[in-house]
Amino acid sequence: MAAAECGGGSPAAAAAAEFTAAEIEYVSYGGEHHLPLVMSLVDDELSEPYSIFTYRYFVYLWPHLTFLAFHKGKCVGTVVCKMGDHRGTFRGYIAMLVVIKSYRGRGIATELVTRSIRVMMESGCEEVTLEAEVTNKGALALYGRLGFIRAKRLYRYYLNGVDAFRLKLLFPRPDPALLSANKDGRHKQHAENSAESSPIYI
Amino acid sequence: MATNYEGGGGGGGGGSGGAAPPKSIPSGDDAVWADAAPLIEAACNDLQEGELVHGENFSLFAAMSALEIMDPKMDPGIESSGYCSVDEAIENGIAPVPLSFDRTVDVKHTLDVMDHLLACEATWHNGHSLAQTVFSCIYILRIERTSPHPLLHSYCRVMRATCNAVVSAVSDARTHEEEDLFTMSYGLPLKDGGDDKCLSILNSVEETVSRQLQFESLQTNPDLEEGYCRAVLCRLRFRKHFYHALTCMRKPQGRGLELARKHIAACLSELDNMFKSLDFLRSHSFYQESAVTSTTASGCRPIGFDVSLNSRLLSPTPPRAVKVLSWIDAVSYFEKLLHYLDTICSFSLDPALESVLHFIVKFQLSQPPLVARAHLQLLLVHDGKLYGRDSFSDVIARSLALPDVTKDKEFQTNEFVLQLGQLLINLIKILCANTAWQRRKLGKILQDWSVISIQLELALKREFGELLNSSVDESVCMKVSKHLLMWAQEQTYWIALRFLTLGFELQLYSPSEYCMVYWYMYVIFMKQVETMQIRIVAGTRRKGKKKRDHHARDSGRDAMASSYCLLLQCYMCLSEGLAMMLAALRNESNAFQMPNIFNSEQERFIQHFELLQKAQVPEHISYHIFKESTAHACISDVVKHNYFREAQRIAASLKGSFSADPERLAELRLIEQVAEHNRIALNVINQVGAGDPTLRVPLEFTHHNHFVVAVVKRS
Repeated sequence: MAAAECGGGSPAAAAAAEFTAAEIEYVSYGGEHHLPLVMSLVDDELSEPYSIFTYRYFVYLWPHLTFLAFHKGKCVGTVVCKMGDHRGTFRGYIAMLVVIKSYRGRGIATELVTRSIRVMMESGCEEVTLEAEVTNKGALALYGRLGFIRAKRLYRYYLNGVDAFRLKLLFPRPDPALLSANKDGRHKQHAENSAESSPIYI
Repeated sequence: MATNYEGGGGGGGGGSGGAAPPKSIPSGDDAVWADAAPLIEAACNDLQEGELVHGENFSLFAAMSALEIMDPKMDPGIESSGYCSVDEAIENGIAPVPLSFDRTVDVKHTLDVMDHLLACEATWHNGHSLAQTVFSCIYILRIERTSPHPLLHSYCRVMRATCNAVVSAVSDARTHEEEDLFTMSYGLPLKDGGDDKCLSILNSVEETVSRQLQFESLQTNPDLEEGYCRAVLCRLRFRKHFYHALTCMRKPQGRGLELARKHIAACLSELDNMFKSLDFLRSHSFYQESAVTSTTASGCRPIGFDVSLNSRLLSPTPPRAVKVLSWIDAVSYFEKLLHYLDTICSFSLDPALESVLHFIVKFQLSQPPLVARAHLQLLLVHDGKLYGRDSFSDVIARSLALPDVTKDKEFQTNEFVLQLGQLLINLIKILCANTAWQRRKLGKILQDWSVISIQLELALKREFGELLNSSVDESVCMKVSKHLLMWAQEQTYWIALRFLTLGFELQLYSPSEYCMVYWYMYVIFMKQVETMQIRIVAGTRRKGKKKRDHHARDSGRDAMASSYCLLLQCYMCLSEGLAMMLAALRNESNAFQMPNIFNSEQERFIQHFELLQKAQVPEHISYHIFKESTAHACISDVVKHNYFREAQRIAASLKGSFSADPERLAELRLIEQVAEHNRIALNVINQVGAGDPTLRVPLEFTHHNHFVVAVVKRS
């Protein structure tokens, strides 16, 4: 699907907007009134063509996985996702991620994606996946920091002939040994014999 | 959902209610045109915002395939030239024959057509459909029309025959899964029985033009300038030689390779002449496009092409915008392609499996185009045999390096040998595919190789039971079976290593993952070396009278195997050194810590090595073993172990064995450089202290495309 659009590093020619992180308001998809905002953001930034049905498919079936970022009432970013069973794995999929140029490089995209992934995790997803252009360094860095690996390279995946990476994030699986020992059956985090610090879950 | 809503109204319900339907598409016997605008408008007004029509077969998922009519991003028809059919375009004079009644202008236009066709051909090779490139040419779509024009006619025929030959080659190779756009020729007049005579037509045209050139050069007022004659000649000759080269290369068992090389050389020479014609052609034309972007040498736009005519033959997904390569880029592409084809034709057809695999790996390094890869594969595997000549049972026998088996009928027909032969065929085909697809397939076949090794092992135990562990009086059959098992395991490790190292070439690993990759490579190299050493040693234990006769040849083979084994040990040291150095840096330096937000290193390990773990290649390897091996790594220990010095020592010792092999010597030099740079970096880090906050250690592939070099910087 659509390559994620996010600028890593400093925004280039477009004048960077002035704001603090606290001024950005993150909102879960709330209904029809949000749809034109999402559509115009994605339509403006991405070259792949989507009909309105594509948007409706995502936001109708998974409204809790779409987030919008507002700055002083203006929509400056959005993430659109889905989740479902894929060949026996319950998997999340990040379909579109856009932040307008003047707001890039300030962590908005990371925050949008993080919120979606958290919902996916809490909903029981085993993994999350997406495709990104091999040239989209910003996206690759963003997802890399969140724990995604480049699982595959897809030759000439996009209409313009550019290759893509399939990125995948695997959530830690509960240890079966711990599960059987636990009476009320709640999943516990994996106890690890590792020298590094244990995973931080936000 | 979609209606035949013709006419100029905008999307949605508005528009020209009651407008007359267009005359260009007639009503049929069972169909009549009716204006649906009022109905649609009424239906739209009936729906509230956000409401959708819901049908049994029209779910939200299905709705995603809907197209918005007249949206230029989705509706290919909206960008059309306005001609609904080829005939209509021809009626409107788009592709006249002759191209001009003025002889010189006619030749100029013909040259432009030839050049644009070359550019289209290169564009097609680079990932677009035939329909939108070569077959956007109306002269090619209706070749019969060009018969009165020998020059254009012969060029078009050879062009079409060439495209047909290339499509056949790529289709036969069948390893172009992601590049399947290439062979799509539905609805196109690609094949024509008459095309096999095309060369004789072209030859006679060539002769005519050649005589013309001689004639014109004697004239003080030439009818047709020399420059045009030359331009035409080199283009005709390129076409001819290219077609011949491809035909020769398809001859089985490499019988046509030598002749193909001659044609390739001629092609390159004619391409050079074509390039030289650029100045003349540009100086004789007006209204030029820049040479950098123009699809013709003259800079003029060619007549006779219309991209949108074939739009109905394309799949219904949004059309790819086809940007035809510039003529200069097209010429460069063909030069590159011809050099790859020449490399294939120069291959010695070495019967040794190791040489074949090595050749393919080296060939693939510079990412050759699909057409080259397909031709390589067709040469290597033909009729179920290597080069169409050697059975794969023979290939395996030779690779085992056991003199007794080569002629053994039982060996040839053994079920495991046959299965392994099939696996080898599949492996060679996969290795000829584009590297992204190749890596995914290599990961999958690990399972097949692993399974056959297990089956071999079980069969061995069943047949020979307790005899297996005693080396006394080993029957030939048992010995061969043991060697076959080890050989199968070695190939499995080879595939696993190719899978891992391709990850570097495809940029699938981020620097924080190099440690685990090198560690896994180290483990596999170790198993591969172990298995190989056992097999070599077991193979040298020969009994009987034949020993003396075969001694020289066998010891030569053994020496080569030992050298290769040492090379693997070299790689093993490099891998271990890098893994431990990176582990130590991670343990001792804050800069190398990876944030663990949604998962940890364990999940990334599981994902990267999933297919290897599933196939148990090698056995008993897990994330916990990796952690145990690296959790306590520290720089001072890594320095003490001297992995890089060891790699250098082995590399230096191998120079004698590989003295006749410039490639291997070059590889050894690279290994030495990588080892040296890393050794120095390690010492510097040790002196400064890995925990120093000013220390930065970027990792770069400056010398070798798989083994990284640590560069030490202070900020």
